[in-house]
Amino acid sequence: MTDVTADAVAPDARRAGRIVYGATVVFLCAWVLVPLYFLLINTLSSPQAVNAFPKSFIPAFDLGSLTFFANFSGMLNALKNSVIVAAMTMVMSIVIGAPAGYALSRFDFRGKELFRLLILLTRAFPLPLLALPLAVLFIRTGLDDTAFGLALVHTTLAIPFAVLITYSLFSGIPIELEEAAWTLGCTRLTAFTKVVLPLILPGITASAIFAFVISWNEVFAAAVLTIENRTLTAFLLQTLGEAPLHLKFAGGFILVVPALIFIFAVRKYLFAMWGIANR
Amino acid sequence: MTFHTKLAGVAAGLAIQCAAVAAQADVLFWSTQARPVEEAQAMRETVLSGFDGGVDYQPNEDGPWLTRLQAELQAGQGTIQVLGALHGNFSAMNPDDLVDLGDLGIASASGTFNSLAQLGTDQLQYIPWMQASYIMAASKEALEYLPEGADIDALTYDELIAWTANVEEATGEKKFGFPAGPKGLKHRFFQGYLYPSYTDGVVRTFASPEAVTAWEKFRELWSHTNPASTNFSFMQEQLLSGDAWIVFDHTSRLAQAFNERPDDFVAFPAPAGPTGRGFMPVLAGVAIPRTAPDMDAAKALIAYMMEPETQIATLRATNFFPVVDVELPDDLPPSVKASGDAVAKMSGAADANPGLLPAGLGDKGGDFNRVFVDTFERIILAGQPIERVLEDQKETLAEIMEETGAPCWAPDAPSEGACPVE
Repeated sequence: MTDVTADAVAPDARRAGRIVYGATVVFLCAWVLVPLYFLLINTLSSPQAVNAFPKSFIPAFDLGSLTFFANFSGMLNALKNSVIVAAMTMVMSIVIGAPAGYALSRFDFRGKELFRLLILLTRAFPLPLLALPLAVLFIRTGLDDTAFGLALVHTTLAIPFAVLITYSLFSGIPIELEEAAWTLGCTRLTAFTKVVLPLILPGITASAIFAFVISWNEVFAAAVLTIENRTLTAFLLQTLGEAPLHLKFAGGFILVVPALIFIFAVRKYLFAMWGIANR
Repeated sequence: MTFHTKLAGVAAGLAIQCAAVAAQADVLFWSTQARPVEEAQAMRETVLSGFDGGVDYQPNEDGPWLTRLQAELQAGQGTIQVLGALHGNFSAMNPDDLVDLGDLGIASASGTFNSLAQLGTDQLQYIPWMQASYIMAASKEALEYLPEGADIDALTYDELIAWTANVEEATGEKKFGFPAGPKGLKHRFFQGYLYPSYTDGVVRTFASPEAVTAWEKFRELWSHTNPASTNFSFMQEQLLSGDAWIVFDHTSRLAQAFNERPDDFVAFPAPAGPTGRGFMPVLAGVAIPRTAPDMDAAKALIAYMMEPETQIATLRATNFFPVVDVELPDDLPPSVKASGDAVAKMSGAADANPGLLPAGLGDKGGDFNRVFVDTFERIILAGQPIERVLEDQKETLAEIMEETGAPCWAPDAPSEGACPVE
């Protein structure tokens, strides 16, 4: 191969690479956005338009389906419960999970590997299996039908993620930083709060989002363990399975939007975490 | 969000919880019926709003419904006051867990239903609440392809097959729709329609030569069936979208089609076979679990549900028909009129051959249905030879019958002891 041909090939290859890169970006965006867009269109369509084919790409702004849900008794209450349970799950999974992640990353102790395995094991049992004994226990202890009781269950589901995410984040922060802080007069605690915590805050946010989404999406435990204080998912999802198509779309939209708003609100913390991971 | 605001949120949440717990007083109606959002809404707004004292109507899927109920029974204290469910849900329960309702002095107008509601005991375990059935429906576009001389209200399976074949020939598409999806009620078609129509039985005749004919006919029908049927569970959707022109399904799973475009569809009775026009009623009931916190309120609610006005309101809300004698008003929704007519023609037909819901199977009801679903999947979807599949499945069926000791139900001839698979 002569120099001349090599020079001619290189820009071509670079352009092809850019096209592949661009196509991948477009494809990944479409992967996420197209279903959401269809959800939106069908939510804003009349029942006839939802059943029609081919689908229109422009929403008709028929608010019939959404109006139905606006008048659906108990919706707002259920939404409030969902937010409360998800918030409690977030706080509790971080309060319990982050110290565990720190311990796993900084200390050597006997049974550490086993401990890591055991944390994952909490995800090994399907909820329908656990729900019956849990419900019996909750009824006997008075935790039944409270947001706190449900948040406890959701926390259990979220903790493995909280521990593993914070563990990898703590491991990414050199121990030398902490040691330097100690030599400059910090105690173990102040070194943590003044040096380490600001660095891993984005990661904590990420695991909080995980906890939020896990709690937001969980149906079975919510349906069995709450009655008066149902979460939105338990309240809506069960009745949506057999609903007409246009209400399925509208209900799905209502379930998705609060979670999207939440993730949008905390997105800058997420991007910051990717910054850490890339470094 | 800072840590402090989060903590404040938790504290506020807990406070709201405590307030909410103190405020609950409504009668909790824990139901597996009227689950679709529109029906649940109608139950709350039009049916139950007339009850003094207030009702908290909570429809659930079968899994959470049963799990919650079992938890309350095991814990020995509960919040559920009244249960609403299908006959099959109740028959899977331990009879001791349901309160005897005989002293209420309420019953349905049908002796068959009342004896089904005893669940094999000598007490009234639940009160029949409402009934429905499975019917056929078709888009009016399909009517011009009806085979010559066929009466849509008195079709035979052969005419149905010829009809679906005509439609396929004319349009080039398979337009028969069958609810064979994961949530579809296909097993009821085999138990209550195909088997009674061809074999005059369900259990005894499961692997009879007539059953082989029945499955051959069904295979023929399947060859004109929209192959996407294995994804269909609510045929109203395919009627409305035009994916299917001729369908079989539960009356309440067809209602939306009639209510949205009443002039575009017709409802008609299920077809007949050599041994009559098999059809199956669906029965839902209301019961009280032994852990109900306020027996009197629960019984009052059940009495209210059985009043003629409530029964008519329930019909409008759910498309399930009354079980007590009522005078039906004229202004019912199109779906109720259409399906009511079809059910009346079906049960009033000279060759009607009603098959009852499986009874006495206890918690084996699901396994019983599984036998029919498996048979369908092996013969129709996997294309296995009919005789061999029936011989195989027969063993499973016989085991279920022997284990439960369930006696035969109509249209099978009565048996002493467990219903034999012949």
